[in-house]
Amino acid sequence: MADKAESLVTFIQERCLWQFVSRAPDREENIDGVLTLVGILLTGGVPKLQTPMDRLHFANANHLVTEIKTEFPWITQLGKEELFAVVTGAIKRIHGLTVKNSKNGELHQPLY
Amino acid sequence: MPMKLLDCDTLIPEREQHVYIKEAGEDTTQFLPISNAATIPGTLSERGCAFCGAKLVIGGVLKDTIQLIHGPFGCAYDTWHTKRYPSDNDNFQLKYAWSTNVKEKNVVFGAEKLLKLAINEVFDAMPAIKRMFIYTTCSTALIGDDPKAVAKAVIAERPDVDIFVVECPGFAGVSQSKGHHVLNMGWIHEKVGQVEPKITSPYTINFIGDYNIQGDTDVLQRYWHKLGIQVIAHFTGNATYDECRGMHRAQLNVVNCARSAGYIANELKKKYGIPRLDIDSWGFSYMATGLRKVGDYFGIQDKVEELIEEEEDKWKPKLDWYKERLKGKKMAIWTGGPRLWHWTRAVEDDLGVQVVAMASKFGHQEDFEKVIARGREGTVYIDDGNELEFFEVIEMVKPDVIFTGPRVGELVKKLHIPYVNGHAYHNGPYMGFEGFVNLARDFYNAVNSPLWALAGQNIQEGL
Repeated sequence: MADKAESLVTFIQERCLWQFVSRAPDREENIDGVLTLVGILLTGGVPKLQTPMDRLHFANANHLVTEIKTEFPWITQLGKEELFAVVTGAIKRIHGLTVKNSKNGELHQPLY
Repeated sequence: MPMKLLDCDTLIPEREQHVYIKEAGEDTTQFLPISNAATIPGTLSERGCAFCGAKLVIGGVLKDTIQLIHGPFGCAYDTWHTKRYPSDNDNFQLKYAWSTNVKEKNVVFGAEKLLKLAINEVFDAMPAIKRMFIYTTCSTALIGDDPKAVAKAVIAERPDVDIFVVECPGFAGVSQSKGHHVLNMGWIHEKVGQVEPKITSPYTINFIGDYNIQGDTDVLQRYWHKLGIQVIAHFTGNATYDECRGMHRAQLNVVNCARSAGYIANELKKKYGIPRLDIDSWGFSYMATGLRKVGDYFGIQDKVEELIEEEEDKWKPKLDWYKERLKGKKMAIWTGGPRLWHWTRAVEDDLGVQVVAMASKFGHQEDFEKVIARGREGTVYIDDGNELEFFEVIEMVKPDVIFTGPRVGELVKKLHIPYVNGHAYHNGPYMGFEGFVNLARDFYNAVNSPLWALAGQNIQEGL
C-alpha cells in the first residue's frame, strides 16, 4: 500500500496547486479537505457540499478523481479498507512534504 | 545531488544555496533553493525593483487609470511600454507615461507641491479620466514626501476623482515581488468594498493574476462569457479601477498568477470568505482541468465539457502538428517565477519537449516547491540567476531555445541561441487553447529560424 500511496503522491504533487498555497494552515485545510473528498468520491460516496469551502474542495477533488482513475486503474480494484489506507497514506505524506518537513521559510509567517 | 556551486560562483560561494539540480529520489524537504532573499553582493542580478513590480506588472495594466510616477522621469520611462498588455479602449494605458519629473532642487526642498501640481495638471489635461495611481520611488520616499496626504487634499478639492497611492519605492524589497505584495495589500484594505458591482449572472468570479499580455484576458473572457460566468474583476487585465473596487462581491477567486496576486486572493478569503481556486491557464491539459474545476464549483459541468470539446476540436490538430516537430527539443525557462511551474509540465505533456533549465527572478520558495515537484530530474533550478551562471548553464544543458525576458534575451541572442520572449511573448496570447498553439508556433519558428546561425557567421571572411 505504501508504494501505491507514494505513486499517488507523486502524481498529486505534479498536478495540484492547492497543496502549495502560501501558509501552513491554508495548506493543511486544502490537503485535508480535498483528499478526504477524494476518498469519499473513490468509494462512491456522496459528499455534503454546504459551504463555499466545501464546494471549493469538491472542485479540486472531482476532476482529480477522474484523473487518478485513468492514471492508476488499480485504484478501482481496491477494497474500501485498502483504499482508505492508500488515501490516508497519501494525506500523511503530503502533509509531511508540504507542511511538516517543508523547508519553505515563509510557511509560518502570519502576514501574507 | 545537493545544491550546486557553479564554477563561475567560486568567489561568491553563497550562490550554492540558490542553484539545485534534481536527482531521482529527492524531494523538496531535502533541497529547496533559497529565494526571495537579498541579492548577494558580487552577483550581477537580472531582477527588477520593487516599484517595477507594482507598476509594470499590476497597476499599469488598468485601462482607465492615470499612473503617476512620483520621481525622476527614468522610473516612469523604464516601466512604460516594455510589456504589451492591450485594452479594449484603444490602449489608453499604453499611450502615456506620467511622471512628476523630480529634480535635484525637489530632493532638497521637498516634492509634495510638485506632486500636487502634477496631479491637477494631468486631471485637467485628461478630463475624461477620473482615476489615478500614484507611486512613490526611491528618491521621493527617501526625502519623506507624504503622497497620501497630497492625494487626500486633491480628492477634497476634486470630489469626482479617486486616487490610490502605492508606497513601494524600488529599494523596499529584494525584487519585483515586494511591489506585488504592497499593491495587493494596499488595494484590498483601502479600495475593495467601495463599489457595488451590478450582478448579472448567478455565477460570479474574480479572475486574479492575469494581465492581458497580448490578449490573454480576451481569450479567457471568451471562455467565461460562453460559460455564463460574470467576471466581477480581472485583476488586472483589461480591467477598470472601479471593477477592482468591487471584488468583494464575487463568489469565487480564480487565481492564475499566485505569485503576483495570491495575496489579494488570500485576503479576500480572510475578509469576505471568498474561496481561492488556483488554476493553470497555460497548456491544453491544465486549461481544461482549470475550466472543469470552475464547472464543478458552480455545477455547470455540461457547459464546460461543451466548451472544451469545441476548443480542442479547433486547436488540437494545430497543436499536434507542432508537437510532432518539436518532440525532444530542449527548452530553458528563465522568467519571473510562476511561469516555471505553469509551463514545465504543460510544454512537456502538450509539446513533447524537455525543460532542461529553469531560473526565477523573484519566485519565493513556494514557487520552487511547485516547480521542483513538476520538473524533470537532471534539470537545473536557479534562483536570481546571474549572467555568468547563465553562460555556464547553457554550456551544461545546451538548450535549443530559451524563453526569457528582454534583458537575458539580449545575452542569449549574442550567443546565437534562439530566444522567445517569455514575459511579454513574441506573438501571443499564450493562455488558453489557442494561446498554447501560439506558444508552440513561436517555439517552432525560433528553433527553425536560419537567422541564429547566420548571425554567427563572419561575413568579412567571404569578401
